[in-house]
Amino acid sequence: MDYIIQGFKEAINLLISLDREVLLIVSLSIIVSTSATILASLISIPLGVYFGIKKFKGKRLFSRITYTLMSIPSVIVGLVVAIILSRRGPLGYLDLLYTKKAMIIAQTLLVIPLVFGLTFGLTKSRGDVIEKVAFTLGANKWDTIILIIRELKIDILVNIATAFSRAISEVGAVMIVGGNIKGYTRVITTTISMMNSMGDYPMAIALGIILLLISFVIHSIIYSYSQED
Amino acid sequence: MEIKINNLEKYYGNRKVLDIESLIIEKGKITGITGPNGCGKTTLLNIIAGLDKEYIGNITYNGLNLNKEIADKMTIVFQKPYLFKRSVYENIEYPLKVRGIDKESRSKKVLDIVKKLEIEDLIEKKAHLLSGGESQKVALARALVFKPNLLLLDEPTSNIDPDAIEILEREILKFNEETNGTVIIVTHNLEQSKRLGHRIIEM
Amino acid sequence: MKRISLLLLALLLIITTVACSPKTETPQNQDVVQEETNDPVPPEEPKGSIILSTTTSTQDSGLLDFLLPIFTEETGIEVKTIAVGTGKALQMGRDGEADVLLVHAKADELKFVEEGHGTERLDVMYNDFILVGPEKDPLKLKNDHPNNILEGLKLIANNGVTFVSRGDDSGTHKKELSIWKAANIEPAGDWYLEAGAGMGDVLKISSEKQGYTITDRATYLSMRDTLDLDIIIEGDENLFNQYGVIPVNPDKNTNINGEGAIEFMNWITSKRGQDLIKDFGVEEYGQPLFIPNAE
Repeated sequence: MDYIIQGFKEAINLLISLDREVLLIVSLSIIVSTSATILASLISIPLGVYFGIKKFKGKRLFSRITYTLMSIPSVIVGLVVAIILSRRGPLGYLDLLYTKKAMIIAQTLLVIPLVFGLTFGLTKSRGDVIEKVAFTLGANKWDTIILIIRELKIDILVNIATAFSRAISEVGAVMIVGGNIKGYTRVITTTISMMNSMGDYPMAIALGIILLLISFVIHSIIYSYSQED
Repeated sequence: MEIKINNLEKYYGNRKVLDIESLIIEKGKITGITGPNGCGKTTLLNIIAGLDKEYIGNITYNGLNLNKEIADKMTIVFQKPYLFKRSVYENIEYPLKVRGIDKESRSKKVLDIVKKLEIEDLIEKKAHLLSGGESQKVALARALVFKPNLLLLDEPTSNIDPDAIEILEREILKFNEETNGTVIIVTHNLEQSKRLGHRIIEM
Repeated sequence: MKRISLLLLALLLIITTVACSPKTETPQNQDVVQEETNDPVPPEEPKGSIILSTTTSTQDSGLLDFLLPIFTEETGIEVKTIAVGTGKALQMGRDGEADVLLVHAKADELKFVEEGHGTERLDVMYNDFILVGPEKDPLKLKNDHPNNILEGLKLIANNGVTFVSRGDDSGTHKKELSIWKAANIEPAGDWYLEAGAGMGDVLKISSEKQGYTITDRATYLSMRDTLDLDIIIEGDENLFNQYGVIPVNPDKNTNINGEGAIEFMNWITSKRGQDLIKDFGVEEYGQPLFIPNAE
């Protein structure tokens, strides 16, 4: 029991003193996951809206496949990206494996289905009426997609926050493609995982607290924003 | 816009909800469609508006099948209009914006139409927070602002106050007179049909 | 559609229930009995299980996958392996979360026993570490210092050539640090990458970055085909690595299987266990990965 209490004490110290290593790890986590979330959103939100309002054969099967992909394990994404980016892989010449870029690529691929699926589901249930109005006012497909995104922006923001939470809290993909290299590709989750296997708890606890705080802050902002609306 | 409907049938599952052998909506006229609840008035209007494509039969607009160009020249105001979560001004501006009209002309047209419908004081307000009567006026303004050739109205004045009804009816008539635009108004209120319509169809 | 899937589900359930239910019927003819007695069953009733906390190198090299099924078959004791860094393995021992340890950090191990966390410590085997690096070997270490790790590390540090470290407080990491210390170098800088990962991952990183790394031979040999790395320096006695087995002090808590732990220790240091260790890897790599040296 003692080591747990001790761990918390040291964790608080690390947080209060703004330990340089902790700051580096946290900022890298935020940079990587934010970039991935933005990239995935730019791709997935318009596509999700497009397919959400589109009527086509097999839409139900399409939904089911989409919802399955939403929960794709991060290690699988990591594995696939690592195979493609490794020196012997098809994109090996880019020298990307074990870099921040590789981590961003992996997390982007991880949350693309998530953002797509959430947007798709949202639009499927609530985009219909907006699409009708847009159509009767003369909007084309692209106008309609933009309009639906704007009309559903609060829900879409919540979806983006969900995607960010998934990205920043996953460990499988970034561990595999990043390699947890100190100062380069070491992020919150890979550090926690490593610290645990080293039996070094204070840093792990400190980072765990920060991870929870980040989630809390983001969801608080979104919540207050949605209340305002 | 002249609309010709031939052998139109619409089913919900096995239930036939519409069966119109032949119907012509005259160009430049106001046509009132009345009838009891569930007789298919709204369904017919949605089909004409191009929102419901699952029907059997044939509809032409000035002799042509529905295409984007025709769709751009007509619009519909619903019984419960959906207004965008933006200002009233932006709502009314929307159809002009998607038609690529420049900002200055847009502003002129929007201010013109809000004046006619007596909703100048609403333009800064968030549209989705308005009352029923106000929403209906904004929805009509949004429909009239781009001067459509065909205006479809689905119970536009149910559940709103008499003053608002008067303004709406006045502007619908004025629109028809000034632009020679065709109007179809679906209403369960026979009096309203008589007040507005050149021709009344009972279903 | 729904009905069909329900039916399928029901069928599946029935099949599994039937297949899983214990056989209560008496065999109707001799054949069946014969068949059942032919099933491979442990010679004795299972004696419970032990938790073995060990280093990633024994797991990654495949040694445990080779040894443990034989141990279980011969003794009836199931082994649950937790492969972690030596630091964590020792910590698990201190916390009484493991029954027996198989680790390689002799100084720490002796301290562990001295402090009463373990009952005794026996040598089991040793393996050796090697310095691996890119085939091109930019520093020409293989040519100039094939058996001198201290000189090799000095050149790497002085030239600032990429070196990937485990950086995870594992036995291998400690070993690496002790060699740097012996070479009188404080490794730090852009060229010194601390991976904080297992040996396999570090080798992959090193291969991708075309840097140098100190690794145990076993892990390297087992992954050789997937890496663009060659052996650069080997055979220096600074690179030898001794493994020890320690049963955790059973007084820590009632969950510790002390007898099982001792049985494991005795088995792995017996002639039988030692012979198996000597055989492991020979067929695949042409050389043993671990050299048994229990007394």
